[in-house]
Amino acid sequence: MIKIVGLRKKFGHHEVLKDIDLEVKPSEVLVVVGPSGSGKSTLLRCINGLEHATEGQIFIEGTDITDSKVDINQIRQKVGMVFQSFNLFPHLTALRNITLAPIKVKKMDPDEASEKALKLLEKVGLKDKANAYPAHLSGGQQQRVAIARALAMDPDVMLFDEVTSALDPELVKEVLDTMKDLAREGMTMIVVTHEMGFAKEVGDRLIFMDDGEIVEEGLPETVFTRPKHPRTKEFFSKILSHI
Amino acid sequence: MPYLLKGLLMTIRLALVSEACILAFGLIVALLRISRIRIFRAAAAVYIDVIRGMPLILQIVIIYFGLGHLGIGLSKFAAGVLALTICYAAYEAEIFRAGILSIHKGQMEAARSLGMGYFKAMRYIILPQAIRRVIPPLSNEFIALLKDTSLVSVIALSEVFQRGRELMGTKANVTPLVGVAICYLIVTIPLMRLVQRTEKWLSRGD
Repeated sequence: MIKIVGLRKKFGHHEVLKDIDLEVKPSEVLVVVGPSGSGKSTLLRCINGLEHATEGQIFIEGTDITDSKVDINQIRQKVGMVFQSFNLFPHLTALRNITLAPIKVKKMDPDEASEKALKLLEKVGLKDKANAYPAHLSGGQQQRVAIARALAMDPDVMLFDEVTSALDPELVKEVLDTMKDLAREGMTMIVVTHEMGFAKEVGDRLIFMDDGEIVEEGLPETVFTRPKHPRTKEFFSKILSHI
Repeated sequence: MPYLLKGLLMTIRLALVSEACILAFGLIVALLRISRIRIFRAAAAVYIDVIRGMPLILQIVIIYFGLGHLGIGLSKFAAGVLALTICYAAYEAEIFRAGILSIHKGQMEAARSLGMGYFKAMRYIILPQAIRRVIPPLSNEFIALLKDTSLVSVIALSEVFQRGRELMGTKANVTPLVGVAICYLIVTIPLMRLVQRTEKWLSRGD
């Protein structure tokens, strides 16, 4: 589904990603953890072309998106992305946030798009908020609308970039529950998160990144309890001691 | 007085027609100014600097007489609209640009990540938000424009200030100018109030 070969990303002289190789299979939930500044978000942003790879290839369903001849807008329709800061469109209602791209990009019939959006809102538990503007929704609700918005394009893979980090603690669960449902339905997901409980319960595989490299990889449970690499040990000893 | 009021109508017509052209042209210049293509950015920057660095009255004269010399005879009204558009678009382009840049970059990223191209994202996501933010400064520009139409009298377009000066000549006193002042004020003062109200109304959501 996704194959990354020798990916490097530099910002000026600073190398944020150093020779990343990674493969994600259909329906797999890959969890990406690591300290801030380790390149997790940059990795996600490279996968949907928000950042350009300095070197290496990224194949999405066989298409190399680093090839300049590839229509990135086509690829992005297959790759849904959910952001830490929600990034809902504040001038549009929840429903219009969801229907805009299907109507304008996929040329879907507006009635059909609305019907679909309502189903998605129901799925994320917000059917009654269809006509609310983002400013009138809580952070957790906004993030669930953002998930519905990404799903409306029928993506084959969903990228989650620390989607619960900006939320008040009591709102985290509703978003994680939505993501769990998605995983259960077989969605391919790459999840950058600090939620270790979620990683353990939903993740099929975990990669630990530090300083632009994938340091360790394995079953979430195994990496948590028996980390091999010293940097992984240090990281988990710092965060798990508080659980 | 009816003579002056006819002039005021000309003033308002000139301002409205110019404003429509200014908004369209100013937005285009703003988009060029933030384009990824360097030559567009540079051209827009030069245009903005050159125009903002010259008096409007000079631009009006250059356009009317200069184009006349080149054999492009424009009516006084058309020359006035053209000069005001070229001048004010430079200022309003900067306002549009500031408005566009004030929209958080996450908005563009979210739109692009849904498969929208740059122009679709601009049209449906960035501009609707940016335009809301620039309505107050653009309204103030419109009031300034309305007053600056008086400069078109330099090519003898029969707007309210020009007519006032003509009357002053025939009547040999300055009372027509009081009439001219009143003409401007009955338009500008309500406009200023309206801008204040819109500002309040627009900021209520923030």
